Amino acid sequence: MSTKGIVVAGITVAIVIGAIAIFASTQFGSETVNLDMGRTHGTISTAMGSPILGNPSAPITIVEFGDYQCERCYQWFHTTKPALVKDYIDTGKANLVFVDMALLGRDSPIAAQATYCAEDQGRYWEFHDMLYNSQEHIDNGWANSERLKAFAFSMDFDMELFNSCLDSGKYSKRVQYNISEARKNGATGTPTFFIIDADGGQQKISGAQPYSVFKSVIDSMI
Amino acid sequence: MAQAIRLVFSNYQYVILAVAIFVGLLIPLSIISEYIFLEPYVIGHIPQGNEFAFSLIIIVSALSGLVIAMNVFRIRMMRASKRKMSGSVIGSFIGAAAGACSCGPIGFAVISTFGSIGGIATSFLTTFEIPLRIGAIGLLVFVYYTTTRSLKIECQLNK
Repeated sequence: MSTKGIVVAGITVAIVIGAIAIFASTQFGSETVNLDMGRTHGTISTAMGSPILGNPSAPITIVEFGDYQCERCYQWFHTTKPALVKDYIDTGKANLVFVDMALLGRDSPIAAQATYCAEDQGRYWEFHDMLYNSQEHIDNGWANSERLKAFAFSMDFDMELFNSCLDSGKYSKRVQYNISEARKNGATGTPTFFIIDADGGQQKISGAQPYSVFKSVIDSMI
Repeated sequence: MAQAIRLVFSNYQYVILAVAIFVGLLIPLSIISEYIFLEPYVIGHIPQGNEFAFSLIIIVSALSGLVIAMNVFRIRMMRASKRKMSGSVIGSFIGAAAGACSCGPIGFAVISTFGSIGGIATSFLTTFEIPLRIGAIGLLVFVYYTTTRSLKIECQLNK
């Protein structure tokens, strides 16, 4: 093969590898802003919920109704979720949507709104994780407006954009819609999960249940 | 103290009553505090770091069973006053309420019904779950102590 041929072949291989990497990161890694206003999973309208974590076309969707000030949500985030992400979300078998049920304290709705301000900058899940890693007692000030802005600052957000978004209450109605969706679907506490298969069949799991329960339910639905 | 316990629980009715109160408190409290789940499978699960909180529930339930059964004995057998009974019921109630109103259905029902006041109450109960349960245990231990003392005195008086 000539030198020219080797160079062309090398460039072609590089392009193919790059395209695969971009595709893979789009599917499983980075987040996509939710622009589908008609998005539903089973009986749940997730149109105003989080971006999808994982492969959007995965056969199973886990919808989590949660509150950033809920201690049990914190426990689930730290104990059950990592194994679910590793075994089901990273492998493309399932994806996850977080829908706010921000009722526990006066700072709960503003914390939920802040995550959508983070979504505006393409960093919803990063901010979501930051909140669950920083949780303290309900309404002790850890999730008030100033602290939320401090989190965003520490994460190197565009602060002008973030502050104007949070101060304007831009996503107040979005959070309220999600709360009403939680109630409509019979979520009576946080966290409440709905495991939904491709045919729309769904199974409710109430509370911060262990990984083994999620595994049994998901495996029975795949 | 051992004498008072022997006196009360020599009658098996009071053993059954104490066990019934213990189980009747432990299981609902474990469900409310999300240590037992009924759906989709019946499963018990104590998350890491919650072992102490769970052991406080066991202590509150056990002390409630012991103290309430002893006071029922006093009231029925010795026609004693019901004051100590109310102390033990209050202790059990505080122990039960603490932590029951966190993220679970009761907490959200309270918030939905009572609005911001309900929110403040639930956040207080959640934040101070462990101190409240320790306080409830303290109250139950105090009632247990006074009950055994008065049982000793009342029994001697009745002799």
